[in-house]
Amino acid sequence: MNEGEPEPERDRERELEALLELSRRGRAKLERLHEVLTTPGHYGTGATPATVVYRENKLRLLRLLDEAGRPREGRPPVLFVPAPVSRYFILDLLPGRSFAGHVAAAGFDVYIADFGTPSREDRFADLAYYVEGLVRRCVRTIGALTGEAELNIVGYCLGGTLSLLYSALYPETVRRLVLLTTTVDGDVEGGIPWVAARMGLDGEDYDNPRLVPASEVKSWFEMLAPGSNSTVGRVSDLWDRLDDAPERLREVRTMASWVDDVVPAPGRLLAELYRKLGPGANGIMKGTATVGERLVDFRAVGMPVLSVSAEKDTIAPAAGVDAVRSVVPHAEILRLPGGHVGIVAGRAAAALWKRTVEFLGP
Amino acid sequence: MADDKKNDELPLVERWLAEQQQWQRTFTTYMDSLVKNEDFLVHLGNAMRGSLLAGKPYPTQPPPAAAAPETPSEDKLDQILFALRQLEGQVQDLRLTLDELKADKKRGAKKPLPPRPKEAE
Repeated sequence: MNEGEPEPERDRERELEALLELSRRGRAKLERLHEVLTTPGHYGTGATPATVVYRENKLRLLRLLDEAGRPREGRPPVLFVPAPVSRYFILDLLPGRSFAGHVAAAGFDVYIADFGTPSREDRFADLAYYVEGLVRRCVRTIGALTGEAELNIVGYCLGGTLSLLYSALYPETVRRLVLLTTTVDGDVEGGIPWVAARMGLDGEDYDNPRLVPASEVKSWFEMLAPGSNSTVGRVSDLWDRLDDAPERLREVRTMASWVDDVVPAPGRLLAELYRKLGPGANGIMKGTATVGERLVDFRAVGMPVLSVSAEKDTIAPAAGVDAVRSVVPHAEILRLPGGHVGIVAGRAAAALWKRTVEFLGP
Repeated sequence: MADDKKNDELPLVERWLAEQQQWQRTFTTYMDSLVKNEDFLVHLGNAMRGSLLAGKPYPTQPPPAAAAPETPSEDKLDQILFALRQLEGQVQDLRLTLDELKADKKRGAKKPLPPRPKEAE
């Protein structure tokens, strides 16, 4: 810029400089986006080598293998039960970022129930189908494979609800129980049951259920995550993130592979969960929960229980999770900093993994 | 971006021209990926919805035709299919019970037999 240039000319030049910088930054973001989109992403499978030991309907029971491709047999079996409305691989996300892999590396014989993607006929699946059926048969299969009468169960989110109900019905088969971000008090405001009520889930038909589309399930999660409940909000968030280094963006992409890849949900299961355990009914807290015809007596949960909540959990608010003490007074409560997904698979997840291995014991 | 640093020495007009060329290059790169890589279109579509989800399209509302109510016969067929799924589970339960019985029998057979009571003399 020349000293002798008139003022308006200099102003225009400064403006053009600023615009040029803006253009460069926008282009750099698009180049970074291209780089991320053209490198392999996470395609929805677990990170740890595994073999399928049982199949039923869409369910696969995976047994994790060691480096030599053999099952680990030193320590007692552990069954991971994820939520049936999301994908299982959040528990086995990446090498070095796998909760199940960490527990397996500590010597436990680890199994993961992958409930798969329900199709239209599965809309009739109810709580009994999951608890008395799929979860119970997973436990029995593991018993048959290992010869062990008892195993450890780690249930995540809605998978924790299934695990808690199962443990109350079949306590003799559960050695230790870990509940991760599992809502017990359905009256606590702010979690999925409350959002589901606002979205009309209370009107979900038990007798004539539908397969609730993945996009609808996704919209509940979006309602709970500020900034992601509109396309404009999400695009703006992604645009801001494109300033990050490609490595960081790849991490974001890995998490997106789980967060954004929800599965359709059986309407009958949702209707039953809502009517029995949701706001108002609050069946676990009130002791009125049933699975099929059986009333669930939570006093039967005599095994050691560790319940983990996340301080910033918007899906299963910590107060509703910690309420487990009301029904299982001996339960150990652990509240960790972080969110619903972060405490399991985020950068700070090591705290949970370490405590879980300690809790599962020898 | 390295090119941008080099260009910083140039007069503003030339920098703008260089920037324009860079945009053309970026545009060509995107077009190239769209033509050569089928997945890229899916990934780009996801990014335009604000998601970096890989491998499959971001979940969106199904088209109205897919959400159309089922006919009574389709509904019945689904009920039958699900009943078959439940039966599949019951058969598995039966198989597991048989395996458990077999295992119990094996364990029982391995146990040393209890000493025979002495016959009355």
